[in-house]
This record gives sequence, C-alpha cells and structure tokens, in this order.
Amino acid sequence: MINTIASGAGPTGDLRLEALNRRIAGRQILAGIDLAVAPGECLALLGPSGCGKTTILRLIAGLERPDGGRILLAGRDITALSPGRRQVAMVFQSYALYPHLSVERNLLLGMELRGVPRQRRQQEADRVLSMLQLESFRSRRPSELSGGQRQRVALARALLRRPQVFLLDEPMSNLDAQLREELRPQLRAILCGGEAPVVYVTHDQKEAMGIADRIAVLQNGRLQQCGTPQELYASPANLVVASFIGRPQINLLDRGDGSLLGIRPEHLQAVEEGGVAVRVLSREWHGASQQLTVASPHGDLRWITSGAEPINDQLRLGWQLQHEHRFDLDTGLRC
Amino acid sequence: MSSSPLRQRPALLRISMVALLMLWSLAPMLWQLYTSLRTPESLLAGLAGLGGGWTLANYSAVLQADPPFGVYLLNSTVVGALSTLLTLALAIPCAYALSRRSDLLKLVIGGGLLAAAVFPYVLLFLALLQVARQLGLANNLLALCLPYAGLSLPLAVLLLQAAFADLPVELEENALLEGFSLGQRLRWILLPLIGPAVVSTGLLVFLFSWNEFPIALTWLSRSELLTLAPAMARIAGSSVFTVPHGAFAAATVLGGVPLLALLLIFQRQIVAGLTQGAIKG
Amino acid sequence: MSLLLMAPALLLLLAVFLWPMLDYAWLSLQAQTVFTGLKPVPVGLANWERLLGDGRFWQDAAQTLRFAVVSVGLELLLGLAIALLLHQSWRGRGLVRSLSLLPWALPTTVMALGWRWILNDPNGPINGVMQSLGLPSLPFLASTQLAWLAVVLADTWKTTPFVALLLLAGLQMIPTDLYEAFALEGGRPWQGLRRITLPLLRPYVLIALIFRLAQALGVFDLVAVLTGGGPASSTETLALYAYLNAMRFLDFGYSATVMLGMFVLLLASALLLVLAQQRWRGARP
Repeated sequence: MINTIASGAGPTGDLRLEALNRRIAGRQILAGIDLAVAPGECLALLGPSGCGKTTILRLIAGLERPDGGRILLAGRDITALSPGRRQVAMVFQSYALYPHLSVERNLLLGMELRGVPRQRRQQEADRVLSMLQLESFRSRRPSELSGGQRQRVALARALLRRPQVFLLDEPMSNLDAQLREELRPQLRAILCGGEAPVVYVTHDQKEAMGIADRIAVLQNGRLQQCGTPQELYASPANLVVASFIGRPQINLLDRGDGSLLGIRPEHLQAVEEGGVAVRVLSREWHGASQQLTVASPHGDLRWITSGAEPINDQLRLGWQLQHEHRFDLDTGLRC
Repeated sequence: MSSSPLRQRPALLRISMVALLMLWSLAPMLWQLYTSLRTPESLLAGLAGLGGGWTLANYSAVLQADPPFGVYLLNSTVVGALSTLLTLALAIPCAYALSRRSDLLKLVIGGGLLAAAVFPYVLLFLALLQVARQLGLANNLLALCLPYAGLSLPLAVLLLQAAFADLPVELEENALLEGFSLGQRLRWILLPLIGPAVVSTGLLVFLFSWNEFPIALTWLSRSELLTLAPAMARIAGSSVFTVPHGAFAAATVLGGVPLLALLLIFQRQIVAGLTQGAIKG
Repeated sequence: MSLLLMAPALLLLLAVFLWPMLDYAWLSLQAQTVFTGLKPVPVGLANWERLLGDGRFWQDAAQTLRFAVVSVGLELLLGLAIALLLHQSWRGRGLVRSLSLLPWALPTTVMALGWRWILNDPNGPINGVMQSLGLPSLPFLASTQLAWLAVVLADTWKTTPFVALLLLAGLQMIPTDLYEAFALEGGRPWQGLRRITLPLLRPYVLIALIFRLAQALGVFDLVAVLTGGGPASSTETLALYAYLNAMRFLDFGYSATVMLGMFVLLLASALLLVLAQQRWRGARP
C-alpha cells in the first residue's frame, strides 16, 4: 500500500552516471564516476565529508553541471536539462521546508504552481499526510515541528513530486541516534521497492548498510567500490573500503612483507596456542558483548568478545583463515 | 527594579538621563506645537501671558493658504510612495542577481554601490536639473521618482542583497527542483522570506524621498506641485523679519506629524533597516 | 540572465551618479553664463584658474570642514552616551528609542524652520530664558561668530539619533559574557567601557564617522533654510556656494567647477581618513 505512491510516477527507468567529472576552482571534486541504479533500488553513497558524494547528488539533480560525462535517466540523456524538468525529488539535509508556509501549504505549493487541478492536489496531499501520519500537523509551521516530523514533511513533499529519481542528502543527520534507528525501516519501506531509483547520501556506514541495496564507497572524488553491503563487508576492494565498512574498524597488521593483514574485531578469538600474544588494555561494555583494546607485537588491536577478560589479562588471539583480508601496502588494493 | 540602596542611585541617574534625552529630542518639536497654538500677541508677551491667547487660527491659516498646506503633504506622499515602489522594483531583481554571484563583477558592483551610498548626492543636482530640462521633466511631480529611485538604489540594493544572501540556499534549490520559474521562486519563496528587509528598505526610501530637498527645489517651481521640503523653504524664504511664527510653527507641526506616526508604527522596521545598512553595508 | 536582472538598476545608477560627473567635467571647461546667452562656450581651464584664486571657495571649504569636524565629533560623543543609555534594559526603552529618532526622521527643512524660531532674537525660547535670567539675548543667526554654532547645534540635534542607533547596534553585538569574565577578573565597570566596549565598537564608530562626515561635508538643506549661508557668508558651505553659482548667479560652468573641486576635496579627505585608519590599526597589534 505504501509503495503505491512512490510507484505512481510516470514511466521510470534506471539511472546511469557515465564518467562524471567535476572540478571546482581547479580542484578535482569528482573523477570518472560510473554508477547505475535500477528502478526501485536504493544506492547509498558513502564516504567521509568532502569525498564528493553530495556533489554527485547535486549533479543528478541538475543543481550543478558536470565538467565531463553524462547522466542518463531511463535511457534519456538529461545532463543538460534544467533541474525543474528532470523530475527528480530531493530531501535536503536541512529539509529545506519553506519556513513561512504551513505543512499543508508546503505540500500544495509545488502542485499548485505546476497546474495540478485543485481537487486532485488536495487529494494527493491528504494521501501523503495520512501515509506519513502528519494529518494533525497540517496547519503547523515547520518551526513548530520536531526534527523527525520535519523529515517526514520533506519526504511527503518529495513523494508528491512523483519523481523519476529520489535523492536524499544525509536525511538523518539532524536526528538523534535513537530516532534514526526507528526511522530507518520506515524510510526504506516508503522509498525503496517502488519504480524510481533512490540515491541516498550518508557518512554513516551503519545507516548505509541498514537502508541500501547497494553501497558505493567514495573517497577523494573517486569511486572505491560499489556492491551489496555483504560484498563490501566480506571482500573489501581496498584499505579505504575495509576501514569504512564494519564497526569497530578492521584491525590491520603489518606482515613485514609489503602487505597488510586485515582481521575484523569480531573475527578474533581466544586460542590455546598459535596466533598472537596480547595483553588487555581497556574495555568498553556493550551489553551482549564487549569491545576490548589489546596490546600485541603488531600494535593495538580491537576485539569484540562475549567473554569477560579482565584488564591486564594475558592471552593469545587467533582467527580463521577465511576471515583474513590481505592488502598491498603501497597501493592499498586487495591481494 | 530592586529597592536595595545600592541600586537606587543608578536608577535615579538613569531616569534623569532619560528625561534629559527626551527633553533634547522632543523640546524643539514641543515648542513648535506650543507656538502653533498661540496668538502672535501672546508669543511676543513671553512667558507672562500664558493664561490666554490660545488659538487654532494658525492652523486654519496654513490649511487655507494658497495652495493649502495639505497639497504639499499629498505631493510628498505621492512622490514618496511612487519612488519607493520604483526603487524596490529595480532593486529587488538586482539584489537577487547580485546575491547569487560570487565573482569579480560582484566585488566591483558592491564597491561601487557602497561608494554611491556614501556620496553626498547634493553634488549631482545641477547635472540632473539639466537632464530634466532637456527631457522636459521639470515641474513634473512624478518624474522626481527617477532621481529619487536612482539615489536610493545603492542602499536599497545593498540591504536587499544582504537579506537574499542570508537565506538558506537549499530553499531556492528545492523550489528549482519543483520546477518553479524565477518569478515563482521570487513571488512565493524568496520575497515572503525577506519581507521584513523589503519593508525596512522601503521605509528608508520613503523617508528619503519625503524629505529630499535640493532636487525637488530645483525641479519644481509651480507652487501647487511643491513637495514638503521645498515648500517649507519657500515659506521660510518669504521673509526673515516679519515672520508669522505661529503659522510657521503650525506648518512644521503638520509636516512633522505624519513622520511621527510613521516612526511610531514602524519603529522596529526602521531601526532594523538603519542598523542592517550599517552592519551589512 | 543575471546581468539582465541587474541591468535596469545599474543603468539608472550610472545615469544618476556617473553621468553628472562626466557632464561636470565637460561643463567646467565651458563658460555658460548670462553673458554667453546661457550657451556653453569653450574656455579651456579658465574656470579652474578662477577656482584656485577664489577666496570665497577656499573660505567656504574651511567653513564646511570646520562644521563637519565639530558637528560629527559632537554627534559621536553624544551618540555614544545615548547608545550606552539605551543599551541598558529598562521599562519603556523601546518607546524612548523611537521618540529619540524623531529628529532624524523629520525633513531637514521642517526642523530648520523650527530652529529659526527657537533661536530667534529676542522672541525665541532660548533668548526668553536668557532674559528671564537677566542675561543679554544673543543674536544667534545674525552674528558671524554664533551663526555657525547654531548650524552645528541644529545638525547635531538632527543626526545624533542616527549615530546613536548605529553605535547601539554595535553594542548589542558585544557578547555580555565578555563583561562577566572581565568582572570576574576584578575589572570595574568603567574600565570595561575603555578596555572592552570602545575597542570592539571601533568598526561601528568608523562606519558612523564615514557616513556622517560624507553627509556633513555635503551639507546643504540645513544651511540653505536656517541661515541661507549668512550672515556675510559666514555659514556658507561648498554645496551652497555651488548652488548659488548655478541658480542665483546663473554661472553654470563655474558651478560645475565648484562641484568638481568639492568632489576632489572629498576624495582627498577620504584618502586621508583611510590612511589615518591604517596608521591607527597599525599602531595596535
């Protein structure tokens, strides 16, 4: 039922980015970005701030123009199209709700100016208002809403656009941690699985894993790897992806042979013999498990365990071979 | 507020300072009010004859003069209102475009506007007068709007530019994505949001045009076209020695009351406009 | 697109500000008087030579400068006092603030007419008070020594509220925790004024100074109505002199020259001000 709104849009198709380049003031912001998002698929753009992920979103929206490359929507080249004619909807980080209009007017204004008949636009607005449980706030101003309510209004406005692409720019970053966890499945239910591709920008790997069908990891304007969350976790293509996916961060041990050995903290286990000798330095209690920092000859390691090793306890840690990741020390690539 | 002895002295000092400030600001106008209500004889009698001699004759003299005083007020209002509208109509698009640029041209224009805003415009009157004569605009009340708008533009553009620049850029970007045209964005999103700045800018322009003297003085000569400022000067110039003080005073009161009303109604916007101009400009 | 939006405003600005200056540059090289039948006749630099030797021009320049420096100085001092008073919080502050703005909002010509009556000799209220105190009444507007002070008084009365408002805006920008920290360190309130308020207020003082100096150097309305430049030209300013040359003596070429001369002097004083400001800034690390 929820998906019917998102899928009510016109003919949709996949979104393709081909060799996108963007320079600002001589600085390369994006270099050769190739990505494809299928209808109804949710792609998360993940990376640290300044990696270019928001720029990709703005290029898709038409708020910026690429210096090279093409953007195709359902096979049509939209690179030169003005933002208003692309039929994209964007949820901004700040939500960009019109502060002088009530919730209802925020939703109606766009349809009104696009010439949607009065009765029809009221119907549509009522439908998304009830779908997002906003009916009782319809006459409030954005300043009178909580962060979560504002986000829902922004979503509602995006849905009304019946877009061919949904763009979301860190839509959770203004919400507190608990609300984020509550909203993640909701957001996924509303947006994904319809007929429009969804591009979701975030710097939070947990959020990306929770919401996206596939994740594209970016750093310094370059695409590092694109794949399902499971693929990125199980076989990261390079050091950047390895350390960005999975929390706590993967342990990297210098083998001394020009390669690094990566072992995720949750894959370490206490062993009777072999492995490396470690001493427990500190611990963080997580409830079901605890995160220990242990000193080893290769440097400090992170270790997730359900045991209760005391501080200064000395033991040996090992891992199974299937959990080993190896990276070239110079290139950072998986080997 | 507190009754502790330590606090009472500053409060007393403050009350007397405030009283002094009010006396300094208002006494001249109150004296005009007093004068305007007195007969000529009682004015010459000094403070002795306070008992009698009250009259409204000065007002009826001024209001029934040829042309009646109300004409000047009306002229000033018409010129002020039209100049304000013209200035805003020109300044809003310019300020919007300027706020969306970040290049050398913006720096050049911004610097030029700042210099023009400080420039003592009285220097321009002669050339403007020649232009007016050549174009046949002298003695045309509505034509005054042109120089007034031109002279008000620097400050108006600077104020509105700052207001546009203060708006979060995503608001307009979202409107762009929703397919709004430039006109629709201005009408429905941007202008409502900078409404307060538009109002305070408009008020400053109105005050300037209402009060402007040298250009009105040189452009207008037919007495029924005069705005308030040159009308006052003409009244003053009529004679220095046989002055009908009471009538003068009545004129100053009548000329001042509309502004007092404007000031009291829009005090917040006027103050905001003035201080914004200083800070942002 | 962006240029198209700016074009109407920029064109009007050029017409109103730039065109006159170009026109004056041309006109200052012409004789255009009653003797030439009000037609322009090229005379080379004759107007400029006359300007350099024109005692009245230089006297007016000195008078204009004296007026501007004294009245702007007074306005800054008074304005600061008023701003400090209005910066404190007390009941009725908003009303007092707007009422004290009244002198600024009134048309100059209206209040100039009012001051003529207030300063009247012997029937004005000031002389009335003087007489009742047994003092001789003063011919404010008829004495060459007093008339310029009368102009200063009227100008200070009118524009102090503007200065006060600017400085008040500056005061409101200073975070109060600075004063709290200063008090915790044992500073006295009046020391806070000198050590915190004045240094942080400097940019606002500068803005007020530039705005007001430019306006005061171009003073016209007030002098034209209050004294007409008299007595004996003792209150005549450059702007009034330029006006008289054009509108009374019908000597347009020379009037344009006077205005350009005034413009040059303005630029020179602006330059001096910038240099002084840089010295001032350089003196304090």
